[in-house]
Amino acid sequence: MIEPVLLESTTGLFDGGFKLIPALTLAAMLALFLGVGWFFRVASVDDMWVAGRSIGSIENGMAIAANWMSVAAYLGVASTVAFLGYFGLAYVVGWTTGYFILLIFLAAQFRRFGKYTAPDFVGDRYYSDLGRAIAATTTLLIAFVYIIAQGNGLGLMAQYIFGVSYEVGVVLLMTITIGYVALSGMLGATKNMTFQYIILISAFLLGLYATGWTQGWSTVLPFIEYGSQSTEIATEIDRQFTEPFQDATYYHWVALCVSLIAGTCGLPHVLVRFYTADNERNARWGTVWGLVFTLLLFLGTTAYAAYGTLLYQENVGEYTEMTGTEADTLVVLTAHLAELPDWLVGIVAAGAVAAGLATTAGLFISASSAAAHDIYTNLYKEDASQREQMIVGRLTILGLGAVVTYLALNPPALIAEVVGMSFALAGTVLFPVFFLGLWWEDATREGAIAGMFVGLFFGFGSIVNEILPQYVSAISGDAIVPAFATVVPATSSSLVGVPAVMLTIIVVSMFTEDPPEDVKRLVRQCHSPKPMKKMDSAEDVATDGATPADD
Amino acid sequence: MTADESPTTETEERRFETDGGYDTVDYLDEKIHMFKPATPFMKDHLKVIWGLFAVWMLFTFGPVTATWVATDFMTSTQVLGFQLHYFLTAIGSPVGALVLCAAYAWQRDRLDAQYGVDHETEAEAEAEAGKAVAADGGEQA
Repeated sequence: MIEPVLLESTTGLFDGGFKLIPALTLAAMLALFLGVGWFFRVASVDDMWVAGRSIGSIENGMAIAANWMSVAAYLGVASTVAFLGYFGLAYVVGWTTGYFILLIFLAAQFRRFGKYTAPDFVGDRYYSDLGRAIAATTTLLIAFVYIIAQGNGLGLMAQYIFGVSYEVGVVLLMTITIGYVALSGMLGATKNMTFQYIILISAFLLGLYATGWTQGWSTVLPFIEYGSQSTEIATEIDRQFTEPFQDATYYHWVALCVSLIAGTCGLPHVLVRFYTADNERNARWGTVWGLVFTLLLFLGTTAYAAYGTLLYQENVGEYTEMTGTEADTLVVLTAHLAELPDWLVGIVAAGAVAAGLATTAGLFISASSAAAHDIYTNLYKEDASQREQMIVGRLTILGLGAVVTYLALNPPALIAEVVGMSFALAGTVLFPVFFLGLWWEDATREGAIAGMFVGLFFGFGSIVNEILPQYVSAISGDAIVPAFATVVPATSSSLVGVPAVMLTIIVVSMFTEDPPEDVKRLVRQCHSPKPMKKMDSAEDVATDGATPADD
Repeated sequence: MTADESPTTETEERRFETDGGYDTVDYLDEKIHMFKPATPFMKDHLKVIWGLFAVWMLFTFGPVTATWVATDFMTSTQVLGFQLHYFLTAIGSPVGALVLCAAYAWQRDRLDAQYGVDHETEAEAEAEAGKAVAADGGEQA
């Protein structure tokens, strides 16, 4: 499934050179984001990580949706739907229905547990610094893979807006993102997220509505009005557009969908949003709103895929010949091919950049907190000062930024596929640990550690299996072990991985000593119906502030 | 899944203070096991969770499975101009998830009302806990 992406486009999208109005639009957006970031600039380490936890449900829903709406959702899903047909819909289904699992099984319990990050949760629930370190490493890996895709999308958009080469575009926009994150921290980012959501969804829908109107394809609800276009492509041009199981089997479809769902529940930068709502009820309704806001994007993205494909067929050539780069820019390309004015296409492109910025910011924060909090302070230097932690956090952002920028210069797969891999990784390694940790009090430290190793084998192993041959020419073929790639694809490792990890945790837990009583009380507190004070964690209520015995 | 050890005297001392009303159960002494809910609240909550989860399975994997089983029927039938399989997958599943999320949030509100849980008081308690906030956060760092 995973093929290297050739950076070519014959659509003329990148031929216009430097475009003043789109560039100014983007500059204005970024100036506003940085301005807001400056206004809420970092005051203390706590502010940087959880934004003081005080946001209502609609606002929090927008923040959840903004976190969600990365370059992958904005550009990538339309791309996979156009490029891979019915198989691409697994991205739409996985990334939306996953909210429900998150809501019913994890959101409230996680919030009550009161830990900001995946490593904190694993460290405290499984009373283990090794567990914390594995979770922190996983968080770094997830952020790492995810940001590569964002860099890819940002570079493509810079190419359109500034008329620079792809490479210059990646470096330019990644530099801006890193500068922005390091300055504003999460408080700024949170306030930005609501704001960015509004900018972003407006930009996205503007292009969709304008295309639908000018082509006479849709009126007020393009989300459900593209049926005849979609069917026309499938029946009159080429069946590929909607043909089920042409690009992938039923097994692969379900495996991908399950991985994206599990990933939704394991992705650290989404989970952190449940702490920013002001009470549990608002956290629940915030999730509902988050899905409403996300649907505007995901339902729109399939409409874009249909419109874009039809326009491509009319103006460029056979849509089945579309290159990966063309597919990855399809949203902007649609507006371009519909002959909408440059400023409007520019706004759509600027929205994609905003999407990349918002998500990348959240990921950099997750990564820096994993490195500063969980690896540096917990394992290396117990008494690290806040200042030291801040420095480590920022250095992590810079280092990570440099490496992913380099890798984004040669993207290993389509944008959505790369993001899918990071979701599969989160789903396979972290989801089972969260799920069993919150729903079965007898899950032990040894079980969790063994489980996470098994998870890394499936989750990260499958990625290495398919990606390494692209960077190391000595390895021929599509994968190191083709049979492994067939059963456990890199974007879809959770269908096999999650049951394997859960089984490992359960079996090992049954043969190892039960968790200490105070840890069990933590878990019980997470399921109690009693409201807790907003800032309380389960630990405070269950143990009156004492730390777990083995910590 | 070993037998629960009885709470030690130490934890006995830490027992959460009851304020009468809904918490006649001490939630900190009841085992958490997904398939063996120990408190009435958990039993009711899990009923809601599993019920909606079953519907979710149908909404999420139903369309793709139906397409796999009855490919010709699903691709030749049309709804709103869409082929049925495409409509159910691209629009049906996501919107279904939204309806289920709202249904769950609503059911939880109902359970909260039944068990006398009031989230509005959280905000007030919060104001008093201002100092504790900083202390708690500091401990994480």
